[in-house]
Amino acid sequence: MQTLRVNGYDMAYLEVGHGPPLVCVHGTLGDFRTWSAVMGPLSKTHRVIAVSLRHFFPEHWDGNGDDYLMSQHVDDTIAFIAQIDPVPVDLMGHSRGGHIAFRVAQQRPDLLRRLVLLEPGGDLDASLSRAASTAPAPSPLANRIAVSVEKIASGDIEGALQNFVDGIDGDGAWERLSAAPRQQLRDNVFTLLGQIGENRKPFTRADAQAIRAPTLLIGGAETSGALSQIWRVLSEHMPNAKTAIIPGARHWMFDQAPRDVTEIVLEFLGD
Amino acid sequence: MQTLHVNGTDIPYLDIGRGPPLVCVHGSLCDFRIWSVLLGPLARSHRVIAPSLRHFFPAYWDGVGDTYSIAQHVDDMIGFIERLDSGPVDLMGHSRGGHIAFRVAGLRPNLLRKLILAEPGGELDGSLDPDYEPGPSPLAARFAASAAKIAAGDIDGGLEYFMDALEGPGAWKRLPITSKQLLRDNAMTLIGQVNDKRPPFSKADTEAIRTPTLFIGGANTKGFLPKVLRTLAAHVAGSEIAMIPNTTHPMFEQAPQKYCEIVLDFLARPSSSSES
Repeated sequence: MQTLRVNGYDMAYLEVGHGPPLVCVHGTLGDFRTWSAVMGPLSKTHRVIAVSLRHFFPEHWDGNGDDYLMSQHVDDTIAFIAQIDPVPVDLMGHSRGGHIAFRVAQQRPDLLRRLVLLEPGGDLDASLSRAASTAPAPSPLANRIAVSVEKIASGDIEGALQNFVDGIDGDGAWERLSAAPRQQLRDNVFTLLGQIGENRKPFTRADAQAIRAPTLLIGGAETSGALSQIWRVLSEHMPNAKTAIIPGARHWMFDQAPRDVTEIVLEFLGD
Repeated sequence: MQTLHVNGTDIPYLDIGRGPPLVCVHGSLCDFRIWSVLLGPLARSHRVIAPSLRHFFPAYWDGVGDTYSIAQHVDDMIGFIERLDSGPVDLMGHSRGGHIAFRVAGLRPNLLRKLILAEPGGELDGSLDPDYEPGPSPLAARFAASAAKIAAGDIDGGLEYFMDALEGPGAWKRLPITSKQLLRDNAMTLIGQVNDKRPPFSKADTEAIRTPTLFIGGANTKGFLPKVLRTLAAHVAGSEIAMIPNTTHPMFEQAPQKYCEIVLDFLARPSSSSES
């Protein structure tokens, strides 16, 4: 594969199409293949650059090491984009990749033209939390990951994946997936071992207010739980944000409604 | 994407992993992405090289010209393997890509180490099938009708007609949404496929294959593909067959782990021809 050297690591990416660059950052258990279903329509008018973050496939990581960190992935993405000619680029992130894209926008607005966040992942701190709770509860997704990690340690890969996927899209979500998406998640299962100690900071109101790039936040109409709330709350505090909802879709919305997602993204990028 | 310049065009390809090179040739309406599901297990021990044939995604072909044909794609794959310059490769093809891989093996055995044909597409001529009737394939008219719909702008209508002709009524509707999108990205290639000029397989063709060959089929595949597979396997010297239970034509997407296990086992074994 093609790679760019970032912070001492050869970061793999797939680049398809011609036009303004659109960098795509996958989420938990994803890799450059996450974007396959939308790559066709998007690459008709854009140079789509789909990265694989440090330790994700095509690397076969064993889970050892201390550089699976949110801050490392943000730094890597910044160093990657800085090597693209021309900048600024459009940046799109899904789930945990949406968190990364948000942090890139916060730290290096000079590198970005527009920002697309598909159900970004993360906790909301007290300044953003709608509930008047003073002591934020531990993130339910963090608990899910801890349970999945225990299952991986005991050799139960399928159980670990099922636990994670069902935690996001509800009971039965893993059962509904066909063999192909399951295999791609399986190829990245050991990254969950890193994710326990990734040190992801919650979103704050000041963080959201600092994002100046024109931003589109997209959610699946059928997504439930925290992931269905975070993007809505963030959008209320981002000065330049639009939102869109994909009917009938859940968290992996680009696999469930690739044409709707691309239509909305292309309209936003082409404004 | 990475590309190799072959026969006047840039052939894009995905290149993942280290080890002996394994070149993968996709079938009708597909492209390099069709192998996504196998990349993880195969790239642990092999350099997996997945090209997109001329005119397939990421090219957005307009359907005009006479450079979409079996002969062109076979020439392109021969040139591609030569340009890789990595010595003999293992070659795997699915469906129409299996036909292409078979022809490469027939023409240029020196380029190959082993051959894997996953439900290769094509017809059997009179030397292989006593029921063979010369003339256009019974499916040709339906393929032409599909191409006409696509040329007229009815992409989904054309694809549905094609898939249902190939795999029975309801085949298109049953496809996962992601698979449908990949076919849409390559819909215009069906316009070329009407003039594919795919020659039927003959007994002499099969007997000319000297490369150690594995045929892989879906145990539940319907139509002519299983017959083609079994007939070819009966005539390719020393070939093996593996049928994957509970799968149909896209068997590697339906049972990726089993498929990879079969492929990796076949590729790892010393070939029978080198033992003799």
